[in-house]
Amino acid sequence: MTTVTARSGGLTPLRERLPGSIVSAATWFWRGGVAAQVLTLAIVIGIFAVGTGGKYLSWSNIQVILSLAAIPAIFAIGLHPTIVPGGIDLSVQGVASLVAVFVGLLLKNQYNAHDVGFWIIPLCMLIGAVAGAVNGLLNTALRIPSFIASLGMGWILYGLAVYMGKAVNVPLLDTRIGKFTSATLWGVPLIAIAVVVFTSIVQVIEDRTRLGRYMYAIGGDEVIAKQAGVNVGMTKVALFTVAGAVYGLASVLLTCRLGIATSRMGLTLLFPTVTAVAVGGVALTGGIGGAKNAALGALIVTALNDGLILMHVSPYIQQAVNGVVLIGAVALTIDRKKLGFIK
Amino acid sequence: MNVSNGAEEDVILALRGITKIFPGVVALDRVELAIRRNEVVGLVGENGAGKSVLMKILIGLLQPDEGRVLLEGIPITLRDPSDAIRHGIGMVFQEGSLVPNLSVTENLFLCHENGFSRLGFFSLRSMREAARELLGELGLQVDVSEPVAEIGPSARQMVEIARLLWLSRLYGRDNPVLILDEPTTVLADKERETLFRILRELKKRASVVFISHRIQEVVENSDRIYVLKDGKNVTEMGAADARIVRIEQLMVGHSFSADRFHEDEQRTERGREILRIEDLGRTGIFEPLSFTVREGEIVSLIGLVGSGKEEICRCIAGLERADTGSISLDGRKLPTGSPDVAVRAGIGHIPIDRRSEGLALMMSVADNVNLLVLDRLKRAGLLSPAQERKNAQHWVSECQIKTPSISTMCANLSGGNQQKTVMSKWLSSQVRLLILDHPTRGIDVGAKDEIYKLLRRLAQQGIGMVIMCDTLEEDIGLSDRMLVLKDGRLVREVDTPPQKKPSPQSIISLIV
Repeated sequence: MTTVTARSGGLTPLRERLPGSIVSAATWFWRGGVAAQVLTLAIVIGIFAVGTGGKYLSWSNIQVILSLAAIPAIFAIGLHPTIVPGGIDLSVQGVASLVAVFVGLLLKNQYNAHDVGFWIIPLCMLIGAVAGAVNGLLNTALRIPSFIASLGMGWILYGLAVYMGKAVNVPLLDTRIGKFTSATLWGVPLIAIAVVVFTSIVQVIEDRTRLGRYMYAIGGDEVIAKQAGVNVGMTKVALFTVAGAVYGLASVLLTCRLGIATSRMGLTLLFPTVTAVAVGGVALTGGIGGAKNAALGALIVTALNDGLILMHVSPYIQQAVNGVVLIGAVALTIDRKKLGFIK
Repeated sequence: MNVSNGAEEDVILALRGITKIFPGVVALDRVELAIRRNEVVGLVGENGAGKSVLMKILIGLLQPDEGRVLLEGIPITLRDPSDAIRHGIGMVFQEGSLVPNLSVTENLFLCHENGFSRLGFFSLRSMREAARELLGELGLQVDVSEPVAEIGPSARQMVEIARLLWLSRLYGRDNPVLILDEPTTVLADKERETLFRILRELKKRASVVFISHRIQEVVENSDRIYVLKDGKNVTEMGAADARIVRIEQLMVGHSFSADRFHEDEQRTERGREILRIEDLGRTGIFEPLSFTVREGEIVSLIGLVGSGKEEICRCIAGLERADTGSISLDGRKLPTGSPDVAVRAGIGHIPIDRRSEGLALMMSVADNVNLLVLDRLKRAGLLSPAQERKNAQHWVSECQIKTPSISTMCANLSGGNQQKTVMSKWLSSQVRLLILDHPTRGIDVGAKDEIYKLLRRLAQQGIGMVIMCDTLEEDIGLSDRMLVLKDGRLVREVDTPPQKKPSPQSIISLIV
């Protein structure tokens, strides 16, 4: 189900028998790297469509899924450029909490005198970018494994957020961004459209710019990439910075959607974000998967949870199902040849 | 210079008096090498003769301690491989230097995408077109969007060659120098022919340094041949008047001295049989073969890369499963493919890469020595620190491991002392049979001698050994008996009794 096996594909024996146009279309589809995810999504939809007697496929439910998947998709898009080069950024909870507190301090509400309006978005992205840059520098300059560096950073930021926010829930009075996150355009959630556009932009950057190309080269083989002339350290710092900035963007949207700024907001974000990226087919061993994978992963996980709710499955079982899905996705995407030891 | 004036003008790249010293070893000793325009230069020599060190200097991975690199007569300094390629010097590595998950196109232009970039965005189509054109020049038909991991080894080589040609063109080098390090080992016969055809094509616009163990290939496909031995130039000859036998003789040399391997300590009486291999085979790797090892006997396996000797040793050590046949130790049959059974039965394995397989580098000498005998060092069910110390100290002095203390981390020991630590680990576990995979690889001359002595002492104590050495001389000098392997078949057994050793020259023709 991974892009690795998908690329080597079971296509070879069929190649001779099928017409050329179908073969090249199929090759294109497999090469796209999301074939397995599209199939997974189709299976999930199929099961729930039958399980709920068609209710799952109603337009209102599809609207719910698209709308709910959008912000997790941005978080997942933030995480994946740190996984593709072979690392990971686990600081998402800290970044999100700190951003929520900043939103509470700077956006119009009953406690404060400030109102920065839409400027809150670039400001929060900047906060995330700084956090990401620190993660990257800890990883490259101090040579601390990114897992530890970003986990530590995450708790530092969370501590800072709780300290600054004093665990107060701040209802927001400037609801413009919040309204954007729940608006629809011709019946389609606006934020879902925005995420599709965002995903496409990130994907083009990955496919067609030096930063993207180097990200995959590092993920494929860091030593060879270095010998070819890739500035590995700089590239990694840049990728962590981008990851942080995207976390910041997702966090400000999430805060405004909730309408309440609270330092506790981040605390449940890590697991769904990692799950989405893994389910989307981004290999944790690095080198494989792009923004489209991250976004699709978030959509699959959201569609799954929505279906479970519609079928009145106990919330505890839902969590267990998510755990199973995470392990299953990693089992299918991990390239064990690349790992000498599994730690 | 000993080259005539006309040829001198033709020299594109020259190495003059290159010396490289590693701690305890002179890897290269005033080596001279000249590469002319449009020429294929063959480079031959045994393992450890200095070929790869020389090539690493040529591409800037190592810096020479003495000597100069001249490009068209002008001295240059090569800081790293990307610097070398700017001067038109590139290497196709044995293990490959392409990023596996990137496509053929992406690999070809990695880090040099500027020409395809507009406002920071690549034009994927023009990259693919350029890739097709480049590979077309080499006559390679491949889907340029395919990830490199999915294409065959011969296509991968071609992509590497194409990349080097393209880069040197980019830097305005009209006659690049391409180094091919053992390019044929990964290729099938037909692919080899293709490579040689391309080599002849390449000669029209590049120079090639061709390194291979197969001397016949070198003679047939080179213009001139250099022979290296022990880090020194032995000779340079035109390929037209080269004779394979003569090159082989030059490679192994004449400096054969009996005392070097402590032959006088070689055991002559034959003990009981310890190891019996019967019809052991692995499909497609080595054909069923049988042999025995007696107490105190050193049996050497010799053959080229791909002869199957490594795999045979891995089977005996339990690291690989055999498809046919059996392994018995002291008359007891052992299942294959199970290293822990082999260890418990008394088979020790000293791997080629002691740093990653033989030792826990971050553990102390004592911890490593005691690793296999922890059960014996217990008191009341718990490890006894006193017993641990005692056992470690005993073996440190027994094997003459030079370490500041038994609690020194193994990473801080020299190669020779690391190797002695690996050996003492097995000795302390009262091993019956040792498999030694290139035990003196990367060890300086003095420490080599100590290892030789240690091996002789082990033989006196009755431990049987299966050994694979770095050089043929070492194999002949150390062993009591040699098994010659060729293409996965046991072709000959040669006795090598003390003072009556066969000459390397007579053996090498059996191998090649």
